[in-house]
Amino acid sequence: MMDQAKPRWAVVSRVLREPLLHFLLIGLALFTYYGRAAPEGGDERRIVVSQAHVDELGRRFQATWNRPATAKELAGLVDSYVSDEILYREGRTLGLDRDDQVIKRRVRQKVEVLAEEDGERRTPTDAELTAYLVAHPEKFAPPALVSFEQLYFDSTKAGVESRVRAAGVRLAAGDQPASLGEPTMLPYRVDRADLDTVEHDFGSDFASTLTTVPRGQWVGPVRSGLGVHLVRVTTSTPSVRPALDDVRQQVQREWEYDRRKRAFAASYERMRARYDVAIEARLAHAQ
Amino acid sequence: MQRPRLAIALALGLSVPALLAGCSRKQPEQAADTASPDAAASTAANPASPGYPTRVFFGDTHLHTAMSMDAGLFGNRLGVEEAYRFARGEEVTASSGTKAKLSRPLDFLVVADHSDNMGFAPDLIGGKPDLLTDPTGKKWYDMIQAGEGNAAAMDLIDKFSRGILPEKLMYAPGTPPYAAAWKLTVDAAEKYNEPGKFTAFIGYEWTSQVPPGNNLHRVVIYRDGGDKAGQVEPFTTYPPAGSTTPEDLWKVLQAYEAKTGGQVLAIPHNGNLSNGWMFPWDVNPASKQPLTREYAETRMRWEPLYEVTQIKGDGEAHPFLSKTDEFADFETWDKGNLNLSELKKKEMLQGEYARTALQTGLQLEQKLGVNPYKFGQVGSTDSHTSLTTADDDNFWGKNTPSEPSATRASHPFAKTKLATIMGWEQTASGYAAVWATENTRAALWDAMKRKETYATTGPRMTVRFFGGWDFVEADAQAADVAAAGYGKGVPMGGDLKRAAADKVPTFLVAAMKDPAGGNLDRIQIVKGWVDPQGARQEKVYDVVWSGDRKPGTDGKLPAVGNTVDVANATYTNSIGAAQLAAVWRDPGFDPSLRAVYYVRVLEIPTPRWTAHDAKRFNVKMPKEVRMVTQERAYTSPIWYTPSG
Repeated sequence: MMDQAKPRWAVVSRVLREPLLHFLLIGLALFTYYGRAAPEGGDERRIVVSQAHVDELGRRFQATWNRPATAKELAGLVDSYVSDEILYREGRTLGLDRDDQVIKRRVRQKVEVLAEEDGERRTPTDAELTAYLVAHPEKFAPPALVSFEQLYFDSTKAGVESRVRAAGVRLAAGDQPASLGEPTMLPYRVDRADLDTVEHDFGSDFASTLTTVPRGQWVGPVRSGLGVHLVRVTTSTPSVRPALDDVRQQVQREWEYDRRKRAFAASYERMRARYDVAIEARLAHAQ
Repeated sequence: MQRPRLAIALALGLSVPALLAGCSRKQPEQAADTASPDAAASTAANPASPGYPTRVFFGDTHLHTAMSMDAGLFGNRLGVEEAYRFARGEEVTASSGTKAKLSRPLDFLVVADHSDNMGFAPDLIGGKPDLLTDPTGKKWYDMIQAGEGNAAAMDLIDKFSRGILPEKLMYAPGTPPYAAAWKLTVDAAEKYNEPGKFTAFIGYEWTSQVPPGNNLHRVVIYRDGGDKAGQVEPFTTYPPAGSTTPEDLWKVLQAYEAKTGGQVLAIPHNGNLSNGWMFPWDVNPASKQPLTREYAETRMRWEPLYEVTQIKGDGEAHPFLSKTDEFADFETWDKGNLNLSELKKKEMLQGEYARTALQTGLQLEQKLGVNPYKFGQVGSTDSHTSLTTADDDNFWGKNTPSEPSATRASHPFAKTKLATIMGWEQTASGYAAVWATENTRAALWDAMKRKETYATTGPRMTVRFFGGWDFVEADAQAADVAAAGYGKGVPMGGDLKRAAADKVPTFLVAAMKDPAGGNLDRIQIVKGWVDPQGARQEKVYDVVWSGDRKPGTDGKLPAVGNTVDVANATYTNSIGAAQLAAVWRDPGFDPSLRAVYYVRVLEIPTPRWTAHDAKRFNVKMPKEVRMVTQERAYTSPIWYTPSG
């Protein structure tokens, strides 16, 4: 939803790359300086609308309407541009851009993007990716697989203990297991499900119990968030570390994400070191 | 073969590890299976694939990130990547500075940022691609390559200061910054989409807000990958490129499919803030035209689902429209339109709530020949924090200022001179549940298209709903409810074909609690129909419930009770049922009348997010703040249409 009146600005997209970035950074710094220092009545008061500029307005109109703008329409677009500029510059002269939370956030976002993109940007080598994979096996290892059978007993109905016990006795007597549980939407047999799936369907306690029970025999009662179960785990395939080629896309994604976060942290640390922050207020007494 | 050994404790209440330690004999590890992990990645928790969906997947079809202009203004600094990472279960640092993590990962996510001004790139940053196509930009680029960056920078500053830098930034389709924003969105979805594990849909929100502020928003979801979805930029609402009329959106969706051979659908939301415009019943206020058969056909062509519950209120039913339904007044937002620029009038409500719209659809079908409101239901968050949260004990609010704090509940959420919505009125809701054969874009999208979905207000309860002519009580107790359901009927979202003479429609319903949530209170079937006079009618039936409660003389089932300890924000599952199932026959069936049926499942009462906040931050909530909630699920309907 749009929470309030349509705001003018939105958010940074991360499109910065390469040397142009550094040039623009310098530009931003210098422009900020000049913007503040520009003398009254100087270039701040001059608005030139070049032919190239008008051409661009026309091109954009054409893209939208699939026809060229008329001269009158172009004049309207130019008027609109000029009034934007004038009002923006007047506002800036009045200092309305200062201490404006919206502008502060926008500028902050720009700097964050710049900081994240700081440093070299390149495709990681296989050696780097392998090192990352080895350092973070838990991020990439496929979940363990498990096959099991389960009998369900509804613990929100009275006497679940005796019902489980009775089923246990019949299991021991060699009755067909599948017929001994209570009706449920849960499956009796689960084949080669990964543990994430078991957790999704049965809850986390049940899933972690499956990894600890002995194979091939009925055990229980095992409690889950759904009720009480008797369980027989038939097979279990432990998680193994995948080869890089099996998870290359994921490893590269994580490696790059990690690199950006570290670049930002380092940049911020450098910036922070240049400031002397004195907190003179008594925080506990904030109104 | 030896009989299976048995290790059953005769006394319950022992912890499992203790029990096992005491009675199990270690077995050698079974040989590992040899099939590749890939083959098993999408294996359902069910044996052989029966050809119908055996698992339900939970996700959010409607999440905003910092790419949305308003989200960014509100201080959301988390982008699309963080949104995906959080939905996949990873910890992120919220924009308000604290760590946030879901209790359980979701299965899918649609990042649906506002198309208008999407990724409004700042002049310096977003202008870059354009700069290179511009002669001046190209000149500077070449100067930089030649090591003359400083001179280029001075030139830039000069031109910038004199206002002759080409003004390249217009955040509308067809402009480079817009293309960059869309590309970023598409690329992130491609990067985080992992078939079988987590589905990242490509999508956006078309944010039609007809003056004075009537909400006609739609989330657009692509079935396709970036190769197709990346070919066409999102449709906006600002003229001249965009439009606030849904018919225009539908044309754009049609054009997308024609151009790319892809598939796309749209999900409207927040009819409750449309001031009667979401489900018109006569003249379409958006186009000022009377509703036509073409309108109905086109709307149904593109909008199979409706987002019925979310943070800005629940839209299933309204107490004014459903006066005898004691559960209709749930998280109701009915003060005005989206921006509170116009107050609500009672006569607007019939164009806003799903239950009534489903009945209006039947009326319109009689008149136009096609039902424009034959929609299925999903829930989603519409969160603007990049954090998809719908759990009351882990609710991160609508936008960054509503992230957890001692004051978020007691501060106004939205305020105009006409009305105020307080922070505590935000609803920790909801998610979309989708019955699909596997967790992929194609399988989930196809399930959405055929409406095999339901809405939940947060809990991940499992709900089945089938309609047919031959269900018998034993089907509800079958070892495989789904096999009976698909074998003898149609699932949620389906149509009942004409019955043999003297047949009455039967419905098979089953629900299982969220393994990490509250027990179930009851399953209800909500029936809507058009009477012989052409009037809308509705009735809520209690179908199966926990315990041994008996309906009173008024036909009402007594309340399930309440175990909530508000001060400690806790409850116990000592009331309610873990699962409920039944077969229900419509006692009021008239084969000559159109009807629509859907299921509502109620949980037992649990602490509302405000109770968790009060406990966590040790604050006293204003007395009007609701502290207890009753979570629920709404399925897509099953329709009955008389033949002839």
